[in-house]
Amino acid sequence: MAALSRALRLRLLLRSLLVQASWNYRTMQGAGLGFALIPALARLCRDDRAELAKSLRRHCGFFNAHPYLSTVAIAALARMELEGVDSEQVERFKRAIVSPLGSLGDRLVWARWRPLCSLLAFFIFLMGAPWWVAVGVFLASYNAVHLWLRVWGLRLGWREGREVGRALMGSPLRRLPDRLTIPLAAVSGAVVPLLALALGGTAGIGPLFTIGIALALAIAGYGRPGLAGRLAVLGLLVGSLAFVILGISIW
Amino acid sequence: MPILLCRVDDRLIHGQVVVGWGSHLGLDIIVVIDDELAESEWEQDLYRAGLPDAVEALFASVETAVELVPAWASNAAGAIILTRDIGTMRRLAERGALADIEVNLGGLHSALGRERVLPYLFLSDEDRAELKRLRRADVRVSAQDVPSARRVKLDELLEMKAS
Repeated sequence: MAALSRALRLRLLLRSLLVQASWNYRTMQGAGLGFALIPALARLCRDDRAELAKSLRRHCGFFNAHPYLSTVAIAALARMELEGVDSEQVERFKRAIVSPLGSLGDRLVWARWRPLCSLLAFFIFLMGAPWWVAVGVFLASYNAVHLWLRVWGLRLGWREGREVGRALMGSPLRRLPDRLTIPLAAVSGAVVPLLALALGGTAGIGPLFTIGIALALAIAGYGRPGLAGRLAVLGLLVGSLAFVILGISIW
Repeated sequence: MPILLCRVDDRLIHGQVVVGWGSHLGLDIIVVIDDELAESEWEQDLYRAGLPDAVEALFASVETAVELVPAWASNAAGAIILTRDIGTMRRLAERGALADIEVNLGGLHSALGRERVLPYLFLSDEDRAELKRLRRADVRVSAQDVPSARRVKLDELLEMKAS
């Protein structure tokens, strides 16, 4: 049974990669969730195709989560179905898990990890690395965390089932976005003077251009509450510092 | 103004409420009024898992809420009240819990028997009947999904053709 369930989990994981493949405004990831759950539902229904169609239809309604964390829901739902939890509870679970998975994933991936990896790759490129190295660094670093999140989510959902909310509340994932704020600001700050030097070097207006970009960042961030403002101000500080150091070493 | 928003939204706690309205209004606590949820700890944990640390969530039955709304209203903490459907809001209104509180229709989504009135608002005949009961109870009602959107008052809303 252990070996069997490992194979099943692997199939759920691979199918989760297509969870957004038929995204639409009415059910969002609904069909993707149904598709991902087919191996679990098929095991449950054995040869009864009518029963399989019925349970599949139940899982093709509305669903929407962060795609990388959708595995939390997929695994928990697979476990609930295999344990015979009644369909009303399953529906309540689906309704409740949409929002925490969305909010955790949005904050961690879209607001932190993706910009951090893009800027890091850009930084490496501006430092003189060939373009394909920069692209490779981006794809490798970004997808390492992407795939780790899918595997992590699958294990968590499978282990906790319906009670996964408690585990999500205590998970390190909730603190991670805050921890990434400073590294993200530092990298964006380091990119600013490098970009200005690269562009200004060809046009012969380096220092002016740098000051212009720094001012634009400051104006964009001024008075704006929350992340964008903090990032802009931090980026400006780090960027100015890097500019001074670079400027001294060049002149 | 401690009750910042009193909202009907079938998604309950989600980004539009926490970030869209919460950061706009200074949110400290979200009160979800729902008889079934008030009894179900595993579901409460799920809804709480998506909240930032600074925001607390409280789950109450209609019965408890009727007693506690005045306390929330006089509390220094900024609260957003949420219900899943118009019926729960109407029950609160009938028990006198919504005096001087405007009801915001923030999201009722596509379901069997519901027709689209606004992009974020699908209403069934039963929903419309509940809205009229709210109007008869002299509760102010308007529809608005996010702070930057136009606020549609109840009379105008009920005139709108479904599409």
